[in-house]
This record gives sequence, structure tokens and C-alpha cells, in this order.
Amino acid sequence: MKESQRSSIREAWILCLILGLIMINFPFIQIFNTVRLIFGIPILVLYFFIGWPASIAVIWFFVRYIESGSQDSSAIVGDKSDP
Amino acid sequence: MIPAKTIFFMSIFSTQTVLLVSLGYFALLFLVAWYAERCRKTGHRLLKNSHVYSLSLAVYCTSWTFYGSVGKAATSGLEFLPIYLGPTLIAFAWWFLLRKMVRICKQQNITSIADFLSSRYDRSSVLGAIVTLFAVFGITPYIALQLKAISHTLDILSGPLAVPGTGLYAYASKLPGTIDTAFLVAILLAIFGMLFGARTLDSSEKHEGLVVAVAFESIVKLIAFLAVGIFVTYGLFDGFIDIFQRFLEQFPERRDLLTLGTEQTPYTKWFTLIILSMAAVMFLPRQFHIMITENVDEQHIKAAMWKFPAYLFLMNLFVLPIALGGLILNGGDATQADYFVLTLPLSSGQPWLALLVFIGGVSASAGMVMVSSVTIATMILNHLVMPIILKMNVQAQNFPGLLINIKRLGIIGVIFVGYFYFKVIGDSYALVNIGLISFAAATQFAPGVIGALFWKRANSKAAIAGISFGFVLWFYTLLIPAFVRSGWLHSDILQNGPYGIHLLNPLELFGLRGFDIHTHSLFWSMLFNLAAYLTLSFFATQTKSERIQAEKFVDVFVEKSLKPGKLKRISKAPTIMEFVELMAKFIGKKPAQTAITEYLSQQDISAKGNLSDHEIPNLKNFAERTLAGHVGAAPARIILDNYLSARGSEMEDVFDIFGTVTISHASSREQLSVLYDAAQIVSSEVDFQETLDNILELLAQQFKFDLCVIRLLEPESMTLIVKSLVGTSSEHFGQFERNLNMETYIGQAFMSNATTVVNDTAHIEKPASAEHIKRDGITCLAHTPIVFEGEPIGILSAFSKTAKGIFTNEFIALFENLAGQIGIAWRNDQQLQKLLQGREQEREMQIAKDIQKGLLPTNLPTLGNIAIAGLCVPAHQVGGDYYDFIERNSTSYDLIIADVSGHNIGSALIMAETRTFIHARMHNIKQPAKMLQALNSYFLKDLDRSELFVTMFYLQYNPVNHRLIYGNAGHNTPLLWKKRKRKIMNLDAEGLIFGIKNNITFEQNATDLETGDILLLYTDGIIEAENKDNVFFGIERLGKLLEECEDLDPQELIDRIMIQGRIFTGMRHFNDDVTLVVMKVLK
Repeated sequence: MKESQRSSIREAWILCLILGLIMINFPFIQIFNTVRLIFGIPILVLYFFIGWPASIAVIWFFVRYIESGSQDSSAIVGDKSDP
Repeated sequence: MIPAKTIFFMSIFSTQTVLLVSLGYFALLFLVAWYAERCRKTGHRLLKNSHVYSLSLAVYCTSWTFYGSVGKAATSGLEFLPIYLGPTLIAFAWWFLLRKMVRICKQQNITSIADFLSSRYDRSSVLGAIVTLFAVFGITPYIALQLKAISHTLDILSGPLAVPGTGLYAYASKLPGTIDTAFLVAILLAIFGMLFGARTLDSSEKHEGLVVAVAFESIVKLIAFLAVGIFVTYGLFDGFIDIFQRFLEQFPERRDLLTLGTEQTPYTKWFTLIILSMAAVMFLPRQFHIMITENVDEQHIKAAMWKFPAYLFLMNLFVLPIALGGLILNGGDATQADYFVLTLPLSSGQPWLALLVFIGGVSASAGMVMVSSVTIATMILNHLVMPIILKMNVQAQNFPGLLINIKRLGIIGVIFVGYFYFKVIGDSYALVNIGLISFAAATQFAPGVIGALFWKRANSKAAIAGISFGFVLWFYTLLIPAFVRSGWLHSDILQNGPYGIHLLNPLELFGLRGFDIHTHSLFWSMLFNLAAYLTLSFFATQTKSERIQAEKFVDVFVEKSLKPGKLKRISKAPTIMEFVELMAKFIGKKPAQTAITEYLSQQDISAKGNLSDHEIPNLKNFAERTLAGHVGAAPARIILDNYLSARGSEMEDVFDIFGTVTISHASSREQLSVLYDAAQIVSSEVDFQETLDNILELLAQQFKFDLCVIRLLEPESMTLIVKSLVGTSSEHFGQFERNLNMETYIGQAFMSNATTVVNDTAHIEKPASAEHIKRDGITCLAHTPIVFEGEPIGILSAFSKTAKGIFTNEFIALFENLAGQIGIAWRNDQQLQKLLQGREQEREMQIAKDIQKGLLPTNLPTLGNIAIAGLCVPAHQVGGDYYDFIERNSTSYDLIIADVSGHNIGSALIMAETRTFIHARMHNIKQPAKMLQALNSYFLKDLDRSELFVTMFYLQYNPVNHRLIYGNAGHNTPLLWKKRKRKIMNLDAEGLIFGIKNNITFEQNATDLETGDILLLYTDGIIEAENKDNVFFGIERLGKLLEECEDLDPQELIDRIMIQGRIFTGMRHFNDDVTLVVMKVLK
């Protein structure tokens, strides 16, 4: 994997991390912080239990992306690194 | 303890059943672990499966999750969530964070979080010890929590605990009074930990059985939890919607449980919990162990990044339904909400489901306790016990055995400290709070670890200070309140602060109010931790080794070739076998040999099985890493350092040069300095011997040789004679002369005129040398010829008795260069000697010249009837020409001219001898012929010996009758200018040169002279004077000159001849001695 590609992936991960931190914290979370029910389920609970698998899906897609983009080179790097 | 309400469903299982099932489950775990170990031995490694890795990470979900989440949800609502949202978030960073840690730990053989921090921060033993202590304090409550959960649920499940003498107490009562269910569980877990976590000493090796068992437990606890969740949601209720609706209808006042920013769960606390869990999932010692130490493949991280959050999601999916359902079914009573998971199936007549849940709970607890105890025991061994053992220099027959037993003891110790914590303090505090104390402890490692990974400037002082501050603040703001609530300390401390100092109130430190205990603690501990860490990182300096280590951590992904070589040299380096012995002492013989074999298979080894000089430091690093895998980084360094310093070895920067550059190109400063010093010595005006001594001194000092010798060739005997020697030596290496043959290394070096090196005397080819080398304990040696103008004139030798393989090509280049310097010193000395000799000779020659000059008749008498003049010009200081004029009596004069062959001091001596003979004998020998004959007899022996010969023309003149009689001994015939006849005639007589033959008769002739006649005697110096066309001056030219200058007086005539001679040759000097004698008859 090229250095630029590697660092762009790293930046994407950090971006997701920060985005995630924002989305589950005050004040963003305040948007959903009511006991209103949607489909009979409290909106905040629904937000978490939909948002959570969604973020897992994002990771899954990302991992697939690194896998396809870096399979060969990262394997080589892995081999070389052992002294 | 157990509320009366729960007792009604408690007699469903007999205690025996529960115990049997529990034991059966443990047996199954042992079987799984054993199977995994067996698979590993057959090469089919279960750890190669990324599912196993992902599942083993779920050791994160302990009984705190299993039971506590529901309890938390029932009492505080959504507050349970951040503990699992945090890890999901941090999973985003795993690809660059976790992978980096895994890579570093693999490279450095790091075994634990304490090892990681200590290794990065200058392999600080202090830091390792602090982190270990911190972990022991932080994790013990957590272990207590697990034991509490198991024992409590066992008690719930197995019957009427309230009735002594029945149920489990029936068995327990047979044991000593203090022993209860938790104790039994602790023993079981300790056995498991010892069997599968401390099988070998090498903690960096994978604990296949332990990890697979943990993964297995993760499946069990997930299935159990999902089962009870589905049962509650769809069995007892009509799905999620039904539960939420009924809950909101029945308990509208508790709708806060479904929102945030409430009094129960303020946003600050929410945020704090997310941060704590993000750190905990990475830095809790057991998480670190499973995630990093037990990782076999970096690619597994990619799978775990989504599988582990997915696991957490499933684990939490039914928490709210179970909690709310439990509240609904229990009429809103949340006191036993921690055990809803167990009590709901029990009260609903589903004992087998309850049993499954119990087993799930046991799994959750057991996994955590096993991994934690093994991890903490490793840390205790490596960072608390090992430094003490090393310091006290404990001697043991079976060191590895001792260490592994200490580790096993550590596992038991950790579990039972947890047990006692549970007995003393555990019951007083809600489960979830104990868990958070551990999380907060792990969070204190975060700055140090993150800095270790990304910030080269972070240093050990900063890390020690940061973590120590964090530790103190954590202890003060979390543990002290816990102690107070357990009744250990007076509750007044939490009200008014210690000694009534409000500012020091552990819950409102420095007056900070309005936050929950965890936020408050996190804020203060992190503030001090970070402040100390950042400040000291900026201002404290790193040691060199720490900087190297920092680079290894931060730049772990940077390709090695991009980094400049950090080559070092170890003076008096241990051999490979010595490294193996050292490792074997601590880790056992077999592991040590396996490790070294693997290592050596990857190295370039010379044909003789030696490692080159710059490979030795790598080997040292390898040995250190291998030891680190068993005993931790800091102890490993101490072991290596002690070992090397005990044998006088040192890591030396001086030799960095050899790994990277060659002498002819860009020589480094150190290398040049050695050569510069040598050049200084050579050019300094001390005598040759001192120069040699100084160069050897320099060589021995710089390279730590045990013996350095310079031998020079004695040309007559063709042996090498020791000229200088530095170091200790036996007679053989130091003193002996060496004959030149190819059977010794030194002879080979001299005869082949090439450097000969033996890098390891264990492998030598010359039996002639082997005996002496062995007897003197020489381990490696080098000979290089001292060369002058291409020819060897001597040998420079270096011997070491400790090091091996130190003669790299670069060193040899330097060594040869030094020999070259010695060659120059030798030449200088030779020239100086010659110069001195020449000066001495010159002085002597001057004396000889003066004496010789005095032997010639300087003032020839001016007589009444003849005029006479003579001149002798030696070609050099002294010459072999001779002339003389002796007044025999008033009636005759003897006139002699002679030429001794050569122009040296020998000629001069013969010339002097000739003169002495003539002067001594002339009164007895009256005739020229007789005189010549006598001279010949006298000289025969002397001349023969000296290989000289003498020519002479001897004349006798009687001024009264003008008769000239003469004899010749092979000399140039004199010229006689007959004025009256105007003609030149040659005077000649038969006769051989002196020194050829004995008893020669010399012819004697006579002639009469008249007034105006001029007699010219000469030696061949004038007639054989050559011009540049190789033409001789010749007799004709001389005769012509005599004819032209008949009117000049003798002295003027001589001067004229000399001038003409010089004009003819075009030179100031003649090549041969020139002698002229002129006699003119006046009347």
C-alpha cells in the first residue's frame, strides 16, 4: 500500500472515530433525547440500536476496502517485520 | 442477604446438581483447553482462526456485563450502554492503533501492558513495577466482582441458603469455617490458570488452551444471554414493543430510564463512561493480553474490528427488555435487578434455562479471572519479583523452574487476593461500581501508551510521573470512597474531607463539585497524569537507548531499509554459545537452543560459523528480546547488562563506523581519529622504538586487544624479530622469533604479503599454530604485513583472548592502514640512520682528506737549477693519487707519481702506505727499479687482499749531470718536452703494475735533460677526462698543451692544463683523481 493511501485510510478511521464520538454525545444526542415512541419503541433506544449496527456495518465495509486494497502489500510488510 | 421473596423458587435444583453441572462445565473447559493444546502440537492451530481471536476479545464481557448490565439498566436506564459503545468506537482506530501495538509487541517480545510501557520507556524497572502495582490494585476488585457473582448466583440457584446445614453449606460446613463457594471457585480457577496460563515461562508464546477456552466461554455466555433475552422478550412478553409499552404504562415516573441527561445519567457521566470503556477495552491487562500478546496474525484485527462490536451489540440487545421486563414482573422492585437474568427464568418455571444462564455467568466470570490472574501474575513475576531476584543475585539450580513456580504462585495469589477483597469489601458495593474502578485504573495507562506509539519525545520520567500521579489520584478519588462505603474508613472523610479539610474531600477534590464520582475522578487523575506526562516529555531529556527504543516503537511500520544503520560493537563480546548458556539459565536449555537456531538460520554466517562483528549486537538484542518474552523487558535488560558488564564487555559507539562505511570512502570521525593519532605518533620526533610502542599502545587501547606485537625482518637470519609488544603474553606469542614458513599464520601473512585473520580460533587450519593459540587462550588473531615499497619488512599482529569475530573487512582495512603507518615510520628511521651515518663518514673523510693532503709535498722547493710544481685533485674527499718529490742528497732528487685504483679510503690508505715505505726505505734503495721492485714485493699481499692495484712512475734526477733515470710500474708514461729538439718524447720503461706478481724485474732507463726541458708527470685522471661526446682529453691534447706552454713556469703550466681540462669536460669536477707534476730544467 502506498504511504499516501495508508495515511488516507488512517485519516478516514480517525474521522469515523470522531464522528462517532460526536454522534453519541451531548449535544448531538439531545436531538433524540425524548421518550417519544416510534414503532412503539422509545426514539433514543431506537437511535442507539439502529446506529450501533450501522456503525458496525461501516467498519465492515471499511475492512473489506482495506482487504481488497492492501492484501498483497500488507502481507509482505507483515512478513518483513519479524526480525 | 437474600430477600425472602426469592426463596420460594430456590429448591428447584439440589445443590449436588448445581455443583455437578458446574464441575461438569469446568471439566468441559479443561477439555476444550486441552484439545486446543493438542491441536497446537499437531500443527493445527485453532488460534489461526480469526473467529477465535474475535471471540476471545469478548473476555471484556464479564459477569459485570452478564448480570450487571441488566441491573444497571433497571436502576439507571441507558447508563449501561456506554461501556459497550466505547469499545465499538475505539474499534475504528484498531487498524492503526491495535495493529501497531501488536507489531511492536511481536518485535520486542512484549508480554504485558507493564512490559509494554517499561520497554518503551527506557526499559524502566520502576515504571514496570508501578504499572504492575497499579494493575494489582485496579484488577483485584474486579476479580472480587467475578467471584462474588459466581458464588452469589450459585447460592441463588442451589437452594435455601438461608437455612444452614442444607444446600451448599452442607458441604461447606465440612470445610474450615471461612471457606465458602467463592473459595472453591477460586481454587478451580487458580488450577485452570496454572495449567493453561503458566505451562511454560515464555509469556510471549501463545496460551492456546487458555485463549480457546475463553473463546468457548464467550460463545456460551452469548448463547445463554440471548436465550434468556429471547425467553423474556418473546416468552414472558410479546416482543420489544410490548415491553416498552407496558413499562411506560406501569411506571410512567421511571420514563427517565429511557432518556439521558437525567439526574441518574447526566451527560458528563455518559461521556466519562465512554472514555473509560474506550481505554479499558485496550489497556486493561487482560484485554491487552488477549488482544495483543495472544494475537497470532495481524489480519485477525480486521475481522475483530467488526466482529467484536457485533458481539457486544448482541450482548446488549436484550438488556433493556430483560431489565424492564424484570421490573414489570417484580412490581418495580430493582433491589435484585443484578440477578434478573437468573431469577426471571427461575420464577417463570424454567430451571434449565436458569441453569444455562448460570453457566453463562460462570463463563463470563471464569474467563475474566483466568486471563486476569495469568496476566497479573506474569506482570508480578517480571516486574516485581524478577528485579528483586536479580538484585539479590539469587542462585538456583533450576532457574526456569523456580520462575515458573513463582508465576504459578502469582496466579493463586492474585485470585486469592481478589477473594479476600470480596470477603472484606465486596459485599458492600454494587457490582458495577467495582468494575468501573478497574476501568478507571486502566484509563490511566492511556496517555503513556498512546504517547509510546506516536510520540518519540515522550520519555520515561514523564511516563513514570504521569502514571504515578494518575495512580495516586485514582486511589484517592475512587478507592478511598470505596473503602469508606465498606466501612473501613470513617464516613466523615466523604462529608468534610480528611481532618476536616474540605478541599481534600475525595469526592469534591479542590472544591470541584457537581460531578459524579467517576467523572470527578477521571478529571483529576487525567489532569495530573497528562500534565505531568506532557510537561516532563517536553523538558526532560531522553537517554540514547531510550531514543532508539522510541524510534522502534513509533517507526515500527517504517521499512527497515529507510532507517540508518544503528550498528554498534560489543567489546569482548560473548560467543554465540555463551549467549545460549545465558538464556538457558533463565528460560531453560531447550527453549534457548530452539530460539538461537531459529535466529541463526536467518543470519549471514561466515563459512567458519562466525558472526561478524556487527552481528553480535544484533544477537545481543535477540537474546534480550527472547529473555524479555519470558521475564519482561526490564529484567531482560538488567540480565544482559549485568552479564556483559561482569565480563567487561561494553557496547561501543566507536565502531559504528565499521558497519556502514569503508575506510577508502567516507571514513567516519572515530576511524579517522585512530589513523590520525597513528600518523601523529609516526611524525613525532621520538625514536623508532618509541614510535612502535606508541602505535601498539593506541591499537591495544582502541580495540581492547589483549596482545599486540610488531615483528621486523632480520634480513641475515630471515627471521621475524619482536621489536615491540603491548599487552600480556606468553613466551611464545611475545618473545619468540619466527621463522618464515607457510605453516604458521604469521609466516603465511609475511610470505603471501597479505593480511591473515582468524576470527575464531575454535576453527583453525594450521596445526602448528593451534597448540600455542589454545594454550594462551587466544580467541581471535590477525597478522598484517608491514610493507615498504611493496616488500614486506615485518608483521603487525593483534590477539584477543575474549572477543571473536571482531575482524571485519572494515577493521582489516584500518589494521592494514596502521601497518602502512608503521612502514612509513620504518622508512623514516632508515633514512635517518643513513643520514647520521653519512654525516659521521663525512666528518671522518674530512679528517682523512686533511691527513692525505698533508702527505703530499705542498710546498715544493724552488731550487736553483730546476723549477717544480705539483697538484693533486681528488675526485672525492680522499683519493688514491700520489706524487712526491724528495731530495735524496744534494746531488739527486726522487720524483714519484702513483695512482692507486679507486678513490676511497682504502686507496688513500694504500697511498699513505706507499709514501711511508718510500720515505723509510729510500736511503737503502738507491735505484728507481730497485725501489719499484721492493714496493711490489711489499704490496703484493696487501693489494691482493684489498683487490687494489697501484701504478707508479719513479724518477731520479741528478741536477749536476742532468741525468734522469726512471722505472715504471704500469703507470702512464710521462711526457718530456725537449726544448732544443722541439719535440715531445715519452719516457717509458718495462714494468708491471704492483700487486700482480712477485719477483718482477723493473726496467730502468735513463735520459739526459737540457735547459728548458719540461717533464710532465700525470695520472689518468686528466687524459681520461671525458667530454659529453665521450671523447677523452687524451695524451695528444696534453702534449700539445705542453708544447704551446713551454714558456710558462711549472705552476702556471699546471693551472693552464687544469683550465683546459675543465673547459674540455665542461664540468667543474673531474670524475677521477687528477694529479700533475711539472719539472722544468732551468739551467
